[in-house]
This record gives sequence, structure tokens and C-alpha cells, in this order.
Amino acid sequence: MGATHVPMVEDLPPRHRLSLRVREGGRGAVGAALGLDLPERVGERARGGGREALCLGPDEWLIEAEEADAAALARALGGVDVSHAAVDISDREVGFRVSGPGTLALLAMGCPRDVARIAPGRGARTIFHGASVVIRREAEEEVRIDIWRSVAPHVRALMETGLKELRAGL
Amino acid sequence: MSRHRIPGRGRVDAGRPVQFTFDGRSYDGLQGDTLASALLSHGVHLMGRSFKYHRPRGPVTAGSEEPNALVGTSRGPGRTEPNTRATVQELRHGLVAESQNRWPTLSFDAGAVNDALSPLFSAGFYYKTFMWPRNFWDKVYEPVIRRAAGLGRAPTEEDPDIYASRYAHTDVLVVGAGPSGIAAALAAARAGASVTLADEGTEIGGSLLSDPGVEIDGSPAWDWLEDRAAELRDLGVTLLTRTTAIGYYHQNFLGLVERLTDHLDEIPHGAPRERMWRLRAARVVLAQGALERPLVFDGNDRPGVMLAGAAQTYLNRYGVAVGERAVVVTSHDSAYYAAFDLADAGIAVPAIIDTRAEIRPDLASEARLRAIEVLSGHTVTATSGRLCVASVTANPVTGGEVGEGRQLRCDCLLVSGGWTPSLHLFSHTKASLSWDAEAGTFLPDRSLEDLHLAGAGRGLWGYAASLSDGAEAGAAAAHALGHAAQATGLLVARDRIGTGITHGQLPTHRAPSRVRAFVDYQNDVTAKDIKLAVSEGMRSIEHVKRYTTTGMATDQGKLSNLNALAIAADALGTTPPQVGLTTFRPPYTPTTFATFAGYHRGAAFEVTRRTPIDGWAEENGAVWEPVGQWRRARHFPQGDEDMDAAVDRECRAVRAGVGIFDASTLGKIDVTGPDAATFMNRMYTNAWTKLAPGRCRYGLLLGEDGYVRDDGVVGRMAEDRFHVTTTTGGAARVLTMMEDYLQTEWPDLDVWLTSTTEHWAVVALNGPRARDVLAPLVEGLDISGEAFPMMSVAECTVAGFPARLFRLSFTGELGYEINVPARHGRALWEALMAAGADHGITPYGTEAMHVLRAEKGFIIVGQDTDGTVTPEDLGLGWTIGKTKEDFVGMRSLSRPDLVARGRKQFVGLLTADGAVRLEEGAQIVDDPDQPLPMRMIGHVTSSYNSAALGRSIALAVVENGRERMGETVHIPMPEGNVEATIAPGVFYDPDGGRAKL
Repeated sequence: MGATHVPMVEDLPPRHRLSLRVREGGRGAVGAALGLDLPERVGERARGGGREALCLGPDEWLIEAEEADAAALARALGGVDVSHAAVDISDREVGFRVSGPGTLALLAMGCPRDVARIAPGRGARTIFHGASVVIRREAEEEVRIDIWRSVAPHVRALMETGLKELRAGL
Repeated sequence: MSRHRIPGRGRVDAGRPVQFTFDGRSYDGLQGDTLASALLSHGVHLMGRSFKYHRPRGPVTAGSEEPNALVGTSRGPGRTEPNTRATVQELRHGLVAESQNRWPTLSFDAGAVNDALSPLFSAGFYYKTFMWPRNFWDKVYEPVIRRAAGLGRAPTEEDPDIYASRYAHTDVLVVGAGPSGIAAALAAARAGASVTLADEGTEIGGSLLSDPGVEIDGSPAWDWLEDRAAELRDLGVTLLTRTTAIGYYHQNFLGLVERLTDHLDEIPHGAPRERMWRLRAARVVLAQGALERPLVFDGNDRPGVMLAGAAQTYLNRYGVAVGERAVVVTSHDSAYYAAFDLADAGIAVPAIIDTRAEIRPDLASEARLRAIEVLSGHTVTATSGRLCVASVTANPVTGGEVGEGRQLRCDCLLVSGGWTPSLHLFSHTKASLSWDAEAGTFLPDRSLEDLHLAGAGRGLWGYAASLSDGAEAGAAAAHALGHAAQATGLLVARDRIGTGITHGQLPTHRAPSRVRAFVDYQNDVTAKDIKLAVSEGMRSIEHVKRYTTTGMATDQGKLSNLNALAIAADALGTTPPQVGLTTFRPPYTPTTFATFAGYHRGAAFEVTRRTPIDGWAEENGAVWEPVGQWRRARHFPQGDEDMDAAVDRECRAVRAGVGIFDASTLGKIDVTGPDAATFMNRMYTNAWTKLAPGRCRYGLLLGEDGYVRDDGVVGRMAEDRFHVTTTTGGAARVLTMMEDYLQTEWPDLDVWLTSTTEHWAVVALNGPRARDVLAPLVEGLDISGEAFPMMSVAECTVAGFPARLFRLSFTGELGYEINVPARHGRALWEALMAAGADHGITPYGTEAMHVLRAEKGFIIVGQDTDGTVTPEDLGLGWTIGKTKEDFVGMRSLSRPDLVARGRKQFVGLLTADGAVRLEEGAQIVDDPDQPLPMRMIGHVTSSYNSAALGRSIALAVVENGRERMGETVHIPMPEGNVEATIAPGVFYDPDGGRAKL
């Protein structure tokens, strides 16, 4: 409120995404295959070797990697001797980044979660303008948003309305 | 300087005049004025006509509780608003205001004839009067009443403004920025809590803005306020002014409406007019203060009759004298201070009429100092004046007897009947109230929410008491959140403490029938109406309210509720709590509709989901149809084709050549894990164990009740992986249902479900030449009929994209569904269009798809089924795995009513005249000549013109339909009876050879 802060919204290039599901007993083995220590608590992230895991549920992680890493990831998981599911969802969502002062205000127009309480470096699955999204708080004023492809234009249009509102400074 | 403006007084800016118009006449006010204060500065009290009797009315308050001064405001086309409260509308350059409910003019209003006829319009008037003659209601009474009813004109143009929404979270929300709210916010913020302080006014201060003489910690009130505002800023408190907390919902979730631009001369580009804050607070401090209560006496509604506190506000905050000669009538000490302030400002105050016999000595002597006569133990029995009050009649009351009256000349009458704590938000939380008999008001009792109350809002009076109470509430809120907090005391000099008593109707010696004593100004309800309601049998305030409409206006009875209650209780000879209190409901004050809608309007009203191929369809003239949240191409008209022509052409192309269809919206669920087949066996009717990887099967999903819920083709990608497809509309529901069973019934199964609907774009190719188009684009797979037969699935490359290729048919023709990662969907579509150009490839939409499947008798769940249809009813008993132990819905399928004869079965219908197309949903009967109501034996579920058959076809459910092939049934329609023959549901290529080419 008061000062005019207008963040930047950019589309992000595609990333390789896997929805990984494994029971607690298999977490270590699958993590080892990925070269990641799969975090135990919802909202926590682990990174290494260009790969990233975000814990979304007690048995659910979102794995992200470079597209070129897709085959290697599949090979690594193929060798795991533990029941699990790894489903390619690279194209299910599109990603964009909101950054700069005003980022949290833009999110607050559609997100009921208190994003300020998601510490930088953590993430969450939540709602944004009525759509299911995964957000990652990269820094105080930088958030990445993954959103289902078909609803992205609707949400992007609402974000443009929001940017105009922030530009108006009221 | 306008006549009633007192130079050097108030918080208005004398150097910044503001021009505006009221009823076409131009006025000037000052920056900082409200519309009401600006008009009062010109001596204009008359601002509106009352709702029912069209009585002349002026403002009685200086705040949002105003019932009288409701005007229409405008700032250009579409930007008109009825019932703007002049007492809160800030003045802006060029503001156009118009009075309402009058014709032809405000000072001469023809509708005022209602006032002369008022004996006719008593409580319950409509119920009693318009009953007869019965047939007059629709044509005469209702239209006339509707025209006369309502206040102001609803805007007819679309609202061009933007309305914003924002979620917010805070440790402590303080509602009300008067002295107690400020103290609470400071205490909580100093302790380290994050604090949001909201107030409906333009600046913080509340009652202190009208009491500049008070000194706090050695500073004059307004200096103290300025320092505190700075301190709040420094502490990082979020200050929301012009923001009304309209509703208090579960678990400290509040809705607050912030008015952003209505006060501005120019609206910044793109700025929203209002913003709805959806705020969650760990603790809430309600410091809403109290509302002054009018006194009920004859003629208490004349313009110039005003609450004493309001007159004090107009004087001290706006520098406006509401009159030149003010008489005060009160039952509370607070009005003395108003009288003193007015007298000190040079306004003649000849008398204070006090209903109490005993006057506080210090007040009496202060009055004497100012030569104000105090008439203690008096009542008021009349006022005079047409468009403004001119005199008031005060009568002594001795031993309950009203004595001879004395007429006092005045041009304004300042009234105070005590103060009512604002318990609206508190009551929204389902909190309980307790009755304070001494104060004659309800006080907050208990709430389940994490909240605190402070100040006048919980019945306290005086600045010292409110400030320390606020500080304690703020400290308590911070303490509850784990902060070490303390409430610091403040020294208040020249405090304005006081007490009072409350009344129902003031005593009078006049004949009750002659007395017009108003209780609810906005709805024109008098004390007589309340008493009539009681005498006609109403015992609860809820009934009195509905019978008289008291408290039912847009102000929700902020001024009237307690007076109405007291009068009803007096009439019933009981106490107010026995009569009850009506429920406060959100919103606290009238709220713009558009603010509730927020961003959800126009194109953004609801999400529209678009497939990756949406852009191509748009560029190629698709006509859209909504399917669930999706928009899908319904058909692709060429030239001036209408829908029937386009659909005919599209269907012919598929049957004769090849058609291309965007099937991306199909729901897709990846079912993976060692127990995947077990899970599928339990969910679907079909047997999955023996389905080999690389093969597909049509799957049917039932509910526990045995009725069909969804269907779709399922491909087995590997031993432990199924690619399940669902209907477009069923995608989310099916996944939820599966997760529900998996998590609650079979948590032991090692299988996981993932929605892949949006990962894949799906293009369907159908028609005898589908393979010719597809084959050249496929790598890594032999798609010849022998190598890749019907109901095969494989991974391969299509047009260079990694693909899951299904061979299946929903049209009866040779068909393929090509799944590629969604980002490639449009490129795949365009590659197929190019490859198919020589084959006359034709894009088709959902309508042609519906026709083609209907020609084959394939069901659409939700169209041919309605949640009461079993697999057997549909002729789909073959989908049920005969050796299966169990699946969802299996037990229900053996229920007596599901196996009984006489169930409606899915069949085809052929009208006797092939040119006649049946209406979907039409009822079917055996004998069209039977008396009404006819016995209905089924209904039409799908109906189309079939290009392939050159006639209409229909699908229907009919009792015992499959046993009645060839029999005639009737479909009575408004235009006449339609005759049809029951036929097998498969109209086209019954052997199914074409799909197996």
C-alpha cells in the first residue's frame, strides 16, 4: 500500500518434471538413485546435480530437472528396486516467475496462502485465482509458479489486471 | 465562506474549495468535507424524502449509520450510485448529487400525499389492504407497489470500474481506529506483533476527531493523533482507512471493503474503485465504538433534528454550525458537551431539555456559565416546522404526569438517547450478548473466536477508560501470540465522562393517534406501528420486525433496533431480553455488489480452459461450446454454413475420408504400481488382469450404488502401468473417487494415481483414410491393420514427437488417438492437416463427434445416463468381468430393483417421418390419447440428423425397451404427437467391420 511496486512476470522455459510417489520406506533408496536426499516434510526442497525435489505430500515429491536430464532420470529410477511411481508431467504445467518488489502483493490478489510465511527456499501446493498451483519462493520477492496449462491464460490475464492495479499505486 | 462555516474550526482545508452540485444547483465546500457537511455549511438540511410517507428529511448523523441523507451520486456514464450516504461521501471536484424519492422537486413532492394518508398505511398495511379483490394483485397492486417501493434508481449501465480483491494475513487485526483501537494497535505493535488497523473513516481518530479539547499525555487530542499516526507507521502497522470491516466469519476470517477512488478528484489509470480484503487474523480486537441513540417523540424526524454527537462532529471536525439556535434534548451527559462546544463557538443554545430529574452538578454549573437553561425532568411532546424544525415543545414530567408544555424556538434540535455499543461484528461470530438493564443496552458476552473487545464497543465511556481498555486489549492479543506485552496507561485531561438512561417512547400527554414519533427513519416506522404490532399479537421482536419492517432498511436498524425493542417491551410489560434481539448479518454497511465479484467479471468471470489446439481452432473459425470449464470447438462452419450444414459435412468427411478432432480435454489418469491391475479390477467393472501390455479396453466405472458414473478407454502401457481415460467432465471427479477408495479402503495397495490430462494433447483421426494420413508420420511402429489392430496402444514417434498412439474408434470408423506432450499439440495437429491435405482431411467438432457416436449407439455418460442407469440397462453387461470377486458397485447390481423387469433400457428410436427430429429430454408414452397426466415410459436422451442415414435418429431409455424392438411409441409434443419405432441403438455398420479395417 502506498508506494508503487510493480513486479515482473515472465514465462519460464519448459523443465522436465516428474511426479514421484513412494512410501516412507522407499524414500531413501529412490532419493539415492536421484542423487537427492528427498525431504521429509511437506514444503521442503532438496537440490543437487541440477535436480530438485519439492515435497508436496507425505508420499509425494515434485522432481524437476533440465530437459536433457530426462533420459538419465528415467534410467536412474528404472534401476530402483522399490515400489514407486514416476510420471512425466513436464507438459502438464507451465511455469512463470514473478519477481521484484510487489511480488507478494500480486500473489495476494489470488492466493489465500500467506506466501510471506513460506520461507525463501521452500514451496507449497496451493490455490491461485481458483487454480491449483505449485509455488516456490526463491527469494523474498521472487516466486516461481507452476500452473496447469489450460488455465494459465485465465490466470495470466488476471495477473495483468493485477499489474495494472499495482501500477496505479492504490 | 458559506454562511454556517466557522472559520478556523475543523479539519477541513479552507484554502482548497471544492465545487459540486446538488439537485442541479452548484455549491462549494472544502477539501475534507463530506457531502453532508458541505450542504450543512450552506444551511441545507433537507437532503431527501422518506421512503414511505415522503416526509422531508435531513441528516441525523455524521457517519455510516445515516438513515436519512441518502442521495444518488454520479461521476459520469455508468458511474452512478443510488443511496450514497451523504454523511460519508467525501466531497470531490465535480461530484454530482441528486436527492431521491421526490417528484417534482425535493421541497415540493407530490408523493408527500402519502403522509396525509398515513392513517391508511399502518403496520401490516399491505397484508390487510391488498388481499381483495384477489385478481387485482398481479395487474394493479403489485405493479403499483413495485414502482413506489425501493429507494433510488438502480444503475442501468454496465459498471466500468475495476474492483479488486486481496488476501491478507496479520497477527492482530484491530477494527476501529478510535482511541481504544489506536491504543490496542500500539500496544500490540510495540510488543512485536504484526498489526492491521482498519477504520471506515478517512483518517484515524474516531471520536477524538470531534473532541479536540481533550488532552492526552499533555498533548491536545489532535496533536496526539498525529504523533500516534507517525508511530503506527514507524512500527510497520498496516493502516487501512476508508475500510469497513463488513463481515466476521469463521476462525478470524474477516471481509473488509476499502474504498479507493470515490473521494478522488481524478482516478488514476487502472485504479480499482474498491478492494475486498479477505483477511485472516490470529487475534482480532473489536474497537468499533458506540452509536448514539435517537429519542422517540412526535416530530423527531424533521430536518434539523439531529443527534447531538453529530452536531458536535459537524462543528469540530468540519467547522460547520448545524444551526444558529440549538435546543438540546437528552437522556445522557454526552449531549452537554455538544451543547457547550456549540455555545463556545457562538451558537445560541437557549436550553437543554433533560429527561432525567437529577443533573450532574458540574454539568449544571457549566451550563449556567454559558447561560444555558437546563430543563430537568422534562419530556418533548412536539416539534414544528415544515422543511426544517422551527420549535420544540418541552413539558415537565412529575410523578409520571406530563405537564403543560413550553414552546422553544430553534432552528436545530440536538438529540441524545444514550449510546449503543456496536456489536455487529461480534454478533457475526455467533457470540452471545448480555442485557445491561442499567445502561439499557446489550453488551458483549462470549464468543468462540480469538477476539478481544475494547472501549465504547463494550459499554465503556470516557477517553481515559477507552484508551486504557484498548491498550489492555492490544497487549492481551499480543500476549496470546507469545509476545511480552504491556499496556501503558495514559493521562487524560479534560476527559468527557458521562452516563445516561434510555427510553422507549418519551412520555406525552397527547392522544396516541396524533403522535408521529419515528423509530426507524429509513423505513418510516413509528412508535405507534410497533405498539400496533404488539396489540395484533406479535410477541417476539423477530415478528414485530417483519410486521412493521423496523430495522429492515439498509442501515439494519443501527439507530432504531433498541428503541423498537424498548417500545415493544414496554407495550408487552416485559424486559427487552424477553422480546429478543434480531440477528446482525453481514455486511455491516451496504456494500457494492461488484466488490464481492472482484476480478471475476466479463471474460474472467470463470476460468475458461483451453486446449493446446485452441488457437488453431480459433483461427479457423470454430464455433465454441462450453464443456465443463473447457471451451471446445463445436463445429467449423465453412462460408455461410449453419450448424446443421457444417455438422453434415463434417460427418460425411469422417465416414467417407478422414476427419481430425481435438480430444485433448479427455481426462487422463496414470495408474502405476505393482498393484495397478488389482486396483483397476476393484474400480472398474471390467477384468484387467489378462489385458496384455500394448492393448486397450473400454472401461466402465460405477458408483457404489451400481449406477454408471464414467467410462473411457484404458490402455495397459506396462504390467504395472495403465493409461486411463475419462470423460471430459468427469476427469477431476473420477480421480477424486479413485483417490478416496485408495486412501480409505485400500491403503495397502502399492499403486499411485497421477492426473496427466494436461500433459497430453490428443488428436483423433477417424475415417477410412486415417491410416493413409497417419502412417507416413509414424516412426518406430508398424501401424498396419495386422501389426496394430483395433484396441492397440504403443509408444512411438509421430511427426517427430514422442507419442502414445491408441487405435480405437468412437465413430465406428478406422480411428487413432495420438497423444503427444501438450506443448507439441498444435504442431502435431498442423502436421496431420498437412499430411491429410491430399486426402481431404476435415476438422470436426464435438457436434459431429456426437452424431457419429450416436449412429453407432455409443453412450455419452451424463447425456444418455442420468445417474440411475446400470450397465445392464445400457446393454453394457458385457463389460462386467464375470469371474471378478468384487468391484465398486458390484453388490448393488444384484439388488432386487436393479434386476427387476420393467427397468428403462437404452434403445434406438426412429421417427415415422425421418425428417422429424425428436427433442432431447422429450417424454415417451405408449398411448397418446390417454388422459392427463400420462404414464411416461421413458425419454429421449440423444437426437440428431444423421447424414450417413439420411434421416433423423434418436437414442432413448424405454421401459423393457430391448424386448419391444419394432414396436411403436409416442412422443407428445406441444406441436402434436410424434410417432416412433423402437430400434436397435446401433444404426450404422452394426457388424462393426469399418473400425477394424
